[in-house]
Amino acid sequence: MNFSFSEDQVLLRNSVRSFLDEHCRPAHPRAMMDDARGYDPALWNEMAKLGWLGLPVPEQHGGAGLGLVELCIAIEELGRAAYPGPYLATVVLGGLGLLLGGSAAQKDRWLPAIASGEKRASAALMEDALDWDPASTAATAVTAGDGWTISGVKRFVPWAHVADIVLVPARSPEGLSLFLVDPKQAGVALRRMVGIDLCSRWSEMRIESVRVGADAVVGQPGTAGPVLESLLRRAAVCASAEMLGAARRCLDMSVEYAKVREQFGQPIGSFQAIRHRCAEMLLEVENSHSAVYYAAWALEAGAEDAAVAASICKSYVSESARRVCGDSIQVHGGIGFTWEYDLHLYMKRAKALEPLFGDAEFHRELITRHVVGAR
Amino acid sequence: MDLNYTPEDVAFRKSVRAWLEQNLPRNPIRTLEERRVWHRRLYEGGYLGMGWPKAYGGGDARPMEQAIVADELARASAPAPTNGLGLGIVGPTIVVHGTDAQKTRYLRKILAAEELWCQLYSEPNAGSDLAALRTRAEDKGDHFIVNGQKTWTSAGSIADWGLLLARTDPAVAKHKGITCFLINMRQPGIEVRPLKQITGSSEFSEVFMTSARVEKTDQIGRLGEGWAIAQTTLGYERGGRALARITSYASQYGRLVEVARRLKRHGRPLIDDPVIRQKLGRIWAELEVERYGALRTLTLLERGEHPGAGGSLTKLSYSEFEKRFMEMAMEILGPYGQLTEGAPEELRLEIDTAVGEQGTWAYAFLWSRAGTIYAGSSEIQKNVIGERILGLPKETRADRVGGAR
Ligand SMILES: Cc1cc2nc3c(=O)[nH]c(=O)nc-3n(C[C@H](O)[C@H](O)[C@H](O)COP(=O)(O)OP(=O)(O)OC[C@H]3O[C@@H](n4cnc5c(N)ncnc54)[C@H](O)[C@@H]3O)c2cc1C
Repeated sequence: MNFSFSEDQVLLRNSVRSFLDEHCRPAHPRAMMDDARGYDPALWNEMAKLGWLGLPVPEQHGGAGLGLVELCIAIEELGRAAYPGPYLATVVLGGLGLLLGGSAAQKDRWLPAIASGEKRASAALMEDALDWDPASTAATAVTAGDGWTISGVKRFVPWAHVADIVLVPARSPEGLSLFLVDPKQAGVALRRMVGIDLCSRWSEMRIESVRVGADAVVGQPGTAGPVLESLLRRAAVCASAEMLGAARRCLDMSVEYAKVREQFGQPIGSFQAIRHRCAEMLLEVENSHSAVYYAAWALEAGAEDAAVAASICKSYVSESARRVCGDSIQVHGGIGFTWEYDLHLYMKRAKALEPLFGDAEFHRELITRHVVGAR
Repeated sequence: MDLNYTPEDVAFRKSVRAWLEQNLPRNPIRTLEERRVWHRRLYEGGYLGMGWPKAYGGGDARPMEQAIVADELARASAPAPTNGLGLGIVGPTIVVHGTDAQKTRYLRKILAAEELWCQLYSEPNAGSDLAALRTRAEDKGDHFIVNGQKTWTSAGSIADWGLLLARTDPAVAKHKGITCFLINMRQPGIEVRPLKQITGSSEFSEVFMTSARVEKTDQIGRLGEGWAIAQTTLGYERGGRALARITSYASQYGRLVEVARRLKRHGRPLIDDPVIRQKLGRIWAELEVERYGALRTLTLLERGEHPGAGGSLTKLSYSEFEKRFMEMAMEILGPYGQLTEGAPEELRLEIDTAVGEQGTWAYAFLWSRAGTIYAGSSEIQKNVIGERILGLPKETRADRVGGAR
């Protein structure tokens, strides 16, 4: 039993942090807000060279072959820096999605390209049913020659506008299937959905009778259900890691500010209303750390409680990160409400991730199902 | 990071489980004598004082082994041993700060429940501000004479001995003039008056000391060192019970789910109500997060590190969770949650309560209010976290200068 990072893991965290401290200062996400792409390809290539884009990709496909714990360590740091870019979309949704369900040929084709930074990916997991359960998929895939014709409307597809490939669930005659769709292909229409976090990009994705070949189906047709469930769990935990990073940054900034800001002739941190709030924030951040890394470990190790741990993680961290980031604005007073001050970068990042891959309520129902059985 | 138990730990857990199957009392424990018998059986099994030195009757066991035993006891809903304060606070204090003679004299008798202990710290005017205590111990050459009043003394009415903090030097700053003693409760100078709690029972008492006698050989540590010693004693018990506490919550949760299946509103079992399901999901999530935290604490203890101020985070987290848990259980059970008698039998509302006995949800709910008060209230924990972990400035306090009086 050892619930602490290994030396290598600490090293990884430190190196990601120090790189981002230098190359992803708050000015960087701010600069990307008005950028059409929303991310900086030069920085993306740097991240590829450092091996971050292939963290979970097996060595035979040009990656580092590390596990979910390491991936979460890196993503937590990205959250801490409010990094703007398609990391979660590409490495988690695309990379892990293909790793979980892809054929050997698909892995050969896409994983090295993801790890090298050459290609970006995403997954389209949400439709108008507003349900993260893959069983709610309404998009269709009709057999056409040796391939399919796909139609459907997907919402909140992360970073689809810069993706080379999007994993699209659809109902084919064989059952629920997952397809690789090029978002630039004719018949696919993307429309930007602008949220409060200008550094998180989403698109509506309309797919109208788009022809795909036999090689576009991920794994075997009709087998996407379990793949999507596994992917959703991993994505939920990785998103939680990013929220945790954002929350930790807000806590750190609050504590620093409470030490130096004086009112009534003393630092505001000497007032219990502020100090106790900071203590509660730390409590939630530490508990979130436990939830994220327990779930990451459990999924990686195939532990019995891995599925419920993922839901526990997402439901707990979604709410904690929201509270911690919100409280940090309160601790700062007026300056915390300004665009100039950086707090809102992190607060909005956490907010953007809160509903993705299931909000707290969605995952609480899953928890109850796991613990007491289906309704 | 590896959250699997080692094969040795798994084997050890099995052996504890097997022992419990053989030895668990078949009938509920009703008297103190029955509890002593159970206590001694546990001790003979090697399951009490596990972390204490072998030379004094302990087991030199690793923190993980202690945690596993406590956890298995909780899993089996085993009755608690007696002498909780002797085992949890007094013994460890003597192990760390006592002389060889004191260790020889007291430790085995704690383990065998031959002498029961209480903790005489709090006073009517010294609670959170423990260092403001006024009970005086005067040096009379070969012994001390103690005068003063203690309060909220758990197990005071059954204790043979007490771990006492008293002021030996009123002239110096308040934290510096306090000394730690062992005091015999069975003497004419000591009067114990039980206090009735909101639970209706009387686990704690007031203790009046009038020219009570303490032997010189029963002073723990040096004169004036009492405050420092008291600071270390509060954290002793937490690690070993880290997992067990959560396991008890989990078994209560299991009961709650069972009742939610049986209890119907408008003919529909509560378990099918989405609102109830949200609440159940929330409790389980928080409960598991507490368990993950316990595993982090155990990791530290296994490496021989002390959680230090981090213990304040743990204590704040689980005691506040317990309150939320019980409040939510009350919401789910509706008016039935408050019953101490007269519930329809088929609902089977009884649970294991915080003190390890079969009881009611109402009793467990009431007890949940205590955890955020004793052993440092939540507010005090937040002060500690703010100052010692986050490095926030201390508040200006009127008592940081001058003598005790
Ligand atoms: C069930 C139970 C068993 C107990 N058993 C024992 C025992 O065996 N032996 C023993 O010695 N004691 C025991 N205690 C006493 C316990 O340690 C005290 O109750 C505790 O230290 C709080 O002190 P108080 O009751 O005087 O409350 P106070 O200190 O008066 O506190 C009242 C309120 O003020 C708050 N407060 C106080 N100071 C501050 C501050 N600086 N900043 C912010 N808020 C503050 C507190 O958090 C609390 O909310 C027990 C208590 C209970 C409830």
